[in-house]
Amino acid sequence: MAERVKTDIGTAALALDFDAELMLRVKEGDGASFGVLLEKHRSSVVHFLYRMVQNHAVAEELAQEVFLRVYRSRSTYEPTAKFTTWLFRIATHLALNALRDGKNERLQERLDDDTSERPVRQVSDRRPSVEQFLVYQAKLDEVRRAITALPEKQRAAVLMHKYEEMEYSQIAKVLSCSESAVKSLLFRAYETLRARLAHMA
Amino acid sequence: MNCPLETRENAQLLLDYCTRKLEPESVATLERHIAICGACEEFARSQRAVWEALDAWQPAPVSADFDSRLYRRIEGQVSWWDGLLRPFRPPFSPSFGKATMWRSLRAAAAACLLLMAGVLLEHRAVAPAPAPNDMAQVDSVQPEQVERTLDAMEMLNEFSHHVRTDSPDSKL
Repeated sequence: MAERVKTDIGTAALALDFDAELMLRVKEGDGASFGVLLEKHRSSVVHFLYRMVQNHAVAEELAQEVFLRVYRSRSTYEPTAKFTTWLFRIATHLALNALRDGKNERLQERLDDDTSERPVRQVSDRRPSVEQFLVYQAKLDEVRRAITALPEKQRAAVLMHKYEEMEYSQIAKVLSCSESAVKSLLFRAYETLRARLAHMA
Repeated sequence: MNCPLETRENAQLLLDYCTRKLEPESVATLERHIAICGACEEFARSQRAVWEALDAWQPAPVSADFDSRLYRRIEGQVSWWDGLLRPFRPPFSPSFGKATMWRSLRAAAAACLLLMAGVLLEHRAVAPAPAPNDMAQVDSVQPEQVERTLDAMEMLNEFSHHVRTDSPDSKL
């Protein structure tokens, strides 16, 4: 009976996504499957958190906590939703907490300090002139400031919609709200961003 | 087609169009409308500008030691039971598996050494008694004998003190 239930859960997970199946293997003690999940989602989680908190060290620390929580919860894991929904729900929860905890910190200073963390790759690959580089930096600063100015939930919704290419339904599950609420969040967020960034065209 | 910007629900269509999430059949209808509607054209233009501006924001790559730091944290939190079973389970990654294997081997070697040390100590504790001659020497020193020796030394001290005080030099 237990074996059949286990198989049913496994089949459901497979129907949901391969990640959920991997997570079920982690639940059974397979460390290698956790390694595969980490390899697959490491960058997207770190980058999402980086865009949320805009500090690379903090983002990596939070991402470590995300994966640590995933590993710790392996024994109670049930594939009731897509694995990435669960993963990003943990990530968003931690990011929002970090933002609330550090709300009075010098956010402006963090934005300025973070210039050293920008990917050098883009610049060196294209070999731009100093002028082009400065224009690029100014543009990037404007984008980052515009994103930072968004309310936290709108920010999370935009980042998941734009960079993670999530569906409205998935964002709704991550943010624990309705799909129409997500559409409304996104509409208002993009409205604000258009007002601030449209001149960049 | 009515202008999508008249209601927020329909404006959502325009947003989906700009983010390339609209079904192909709706795209054609909307594009025909945008061609004749200045407001929608402006909306689409500015939304595309936002989309491209956001594209420019690429974060730095993840630190090379991210995984090893995470695995170390996980290793630090595993229960003793998981720790015992770890060598028999697939490792997180081949490289970390090797590191864990070496750690396990080192721990096993240390445990073996401790065990051997324990056995040696036990062996000493039950080692055969010393030879009778040695025992006789040790047993021959009794407490009374020690006391007598101390008394004799005290008497000798007193005697030498008296001898010094009675000598002609001391009277001078």
